[in-house]
Amino acid sequence: MGSNTTEAHPIIGNKIKKAAKSGLKVIVVDPRKIDIVKSAHRHLQIEVGSDIALMNAMMHVIIKEGLYNNQFILQHTTEFEKLKKQVERYTPEYSAEITGLSVEDIIDTAREYAKAEKSMIAYTLGITEHHCGVNNVFDIANLALLTGQIGREGTGIMPLRGQNNVQGAGDMGCLPNQLTGAVSITDDAYRSRFETAWGMEVNASIGDTQTRTFERIENGDLKALYIIGENPLLADVHMNHTRELLQKLDLLIVQDIFLTETAEYADVVLPAKSWGEVDGTYTNTDRRIQRVRKAVEAAPDTKEDWEILCELSTRLGYPMHYETSEDIWNEVRELAWELYGGISYERLESEYSVHYPCPDEQHPGTRILHVGFHDLVEGQKVSTFVPVDYTEPIERPDSEYPFTLTTGRRLESYNTHSQTRHYADGVKIRQKEETVDIHPEDAAKLGIIDGDLVEVSSRRGELQVKAKITEQVVPGLVFMSFHWSEVPTNVLTINEFDPISGTAEFKACAVQIKPVTV
Amino acid sequence: MGEVTQVKTVCGYCGTGCGLVLDIEDNQIVKIRGDKTAPVNKGQTCVKGGFAYKYVHAPSRLKTPLIRKAGKLVQATWDEAYEFIAKGLSSIKNEFGPEAISMFACARTTNESNYVTQKFMRTAIGSNNIDGCNRT
Repeated sequence: MGSNTTEAHPIIGNKIKKAAKSGLKVIVVDPRKIDIVKSAHRHLQIEVGSDIALMNAMMHVIIKEGLYNNQFILQHTTEFEKLKKQVERYTPEYSAEITGLSVEDIIDTAREYAKAEKSMIAYTLGITEHHCGVNNVFDIANLALLTGQIGREGTGIMPLRGQNNVQGAGDMGCLPNQLTGAVSITDDAYRSRFETAWGMEVNASIGDTQTRTFERIENGDLKALYIIGENPLLADVHMNHTRELLQKLDLLIVQDIFLTETAEYADVVLPAKSWGEVDGTYTNTDRRIQRVRKAVEAAPDTKEDWEILCELSTRLGYPMHYETSEDIWNEVRELAWELYGGISYERLESEYSVHYPCPDEQHPGTRILHVGFHDLVEGQKVSTFVPVDYTEPIERPDSEYPFTLTTGRRLESYNTHSQTRHYADGVKIRQKEETVDIHPEDAAKLGIIDGDLVEVSSRRGELQVKAKITEQVVPGLVFMSFHWSEVPTNVLTINEFDPISGTAEFKACAVQIKPVTV
Repeated sequence: MGEVTQVKTVCGYCGTGCGLVLDIEDNQIVKIRGDKTAPVNKGQTCVKGGFAYKYVHAPSRLKTPLIRKAGKLVQATWDEAYEFIAKGLSSIKNEFGPEAISMFACARTTNESNYVTQKFMRTAIGSNNIDGCNRT
C-alpha cells in the first residue's frame, strides 16, 4: 500500500517480483500505475487518500462473511464490538464510490487477505504522508488483528523505511517523547537509568516535534535550531513558508556534508564526515543492526557528527568524550540492554547482522516480532482495535485548481538530491530533470505535448516544469518528485499535518496547470 | 596507480540495508558491488547504491566551518565555530530557557552519532526538543 517499491526500495522490489513469479499473490494499492503493478495479481488504483475507505470496507466484508479469526480476537484484542460498529456503514458499494474501485475488487481483496494462510501488508509514505497518516496505520493494524495475520513468519505489517538509519535514529532516542531503546521519556524508572549513567536529572516533559518547532518559530518562542544532515527547506511542505521561518531564527546551526539549500540560511555551518568516512552501525527496515565501516580518509578539516557534539557539549559545561564509535555503542548496549545488550561489534563482525531485541550474547536476535500473539500463556499479548473513519484530503481539486498533485521519489535520485547528483561516470540516467507527470487526456485538453514547459501553481506557490505525458497517472492526477532544487516541488505542497505524528500531507494538494508560451 | 583494497559496509541510501563491497584506490571509492555474503541483498545492488557514490569525493563538499559575517557565510576555524555556537546557545538558554532550542537529528548518520545527538540535547541543553524525519 502506498509503496513505489521498485523505485524507492529496489532490492525489496526485486524480492517481491521474484516471489510473484513463484506464485505469491501481490495486490498493489496505489493511485498510480507504478512499475510493481506489472508483477501484481491485482492493482487497486484508488483515489489519493482513500485508503481508510478501502480498508474499512474490507473489514466490513470480512466481518459480514465471518472470515475473521475469532479465537485470535478473543484472546488478543479488545474493542472488537466498537470496530464492528465503525465499519458497518462501509459497505463495498459505499467505499467503491469513495475509492473509485469496483465492488468486486474490494470484496475479492478482503476475501483473499483474510483467507490466505499468510498475508502481509507492506506500506510506505503513501500511507503516512497524509493528514490522516496515523489513522491509516491504525487501520492496517486493525486489518491484521481482525484476521490474526501477525506474529507469524510471512504475516504482519511491514513499514518499508526510506532512509538507511531512520529506524535507528528513532530507536536511539532522537524523538521528543522517547529515550534510547524506544521507551517513553515519561517512564520514571527507565529515565532514572539514564540519569544515573549521565550524572544529571533528565527533563521528563515531552519535547517538540518538527511541526511544533515550526509553529514555535512562527510565534517567536523558538530561538535556535540545530539541524544535522537534513534539508527541510527543500524537503518540507510549503517551502516559501519554511524559508520565512528559517530566517526568523536567532541562531540556525547546520551540520552537513554539502552547503544545502537549508545551510545557505544558516548562521554557522559545520562540515561533517560522510558515509564511507566513518565507523558505526545502522538499523535497517527489518530491525537488523549492521556495521558500516570507514573506507576512506575524510578531508582533514571535517569531523564526525558525534565528535562535534562531544566538543560542543564540553564547551557548554557537560563534558562528553569517546574514543571510538564502539565505545558509544557499548554505552547504548548497557543502557538499552533489552534491545541491544547482546549485539557487540565483535558479534556483528562474525554474524553480519543481528535483529534486535537481543538482550544478551547468547540470544539469537528476534527475527519475528509480536510472536507473543501466538503464545497461549497467561499474560499473553493483547492489542486494542482502534476504529477510524475516512476523511478526505484537506485540499480537494476545484474549478480554480482542478488537479490533484501527489508527490514521491524517483529511482535514480534520493531525497533532496545533494548526493545523487554525483554518479560514477558512464551511468545512463533516465530522469535528468524534474517533470510533472500528466495523463495523455489531460495533456490533450491543455494542448501540450511531452517535454513542453508548463506552469504549475497552488494556493502557496508556483513553478515551471516540463510535462511528462504518461499513463502511470490517471486523468485529474499529476505526480512530481521532491528531488530537484531547480524545480522545488514543495513550494506547491500544503502545510496540513496529521495531528498525532505531525507528518504533512505531501501526498495530496490541489494545483492548476497552464502551458507556458515561449 | 595505487593498490586496490576492499572494504565491506552497508549502503547509506534507503532502509533496505544492503551489504556492499567497496573498491578503494588512492583513498577514493572506485567501484561498488553488492556483497554476496550479505543476508539482505545477497550480492544485488540498485542504481543508487551501486553507482551514486561520487558525492563522497565531490569538490563541492564542505571542507571548513562557515560563519555568517556581515550577511555572508565565510570560512572559519573549528575553534571559532565552536565558540560562536557555544556562546549563542548559552545566551539563548540563559535568557529564554532550554525550550527555546530545538534539534533536527539525522536519519542518515550512524546509531552512535544519533545516540550522542540526543544525549547532547538532554544533557548539555536540557530539552527534549529533538525530532527528525524518523516519525514519518
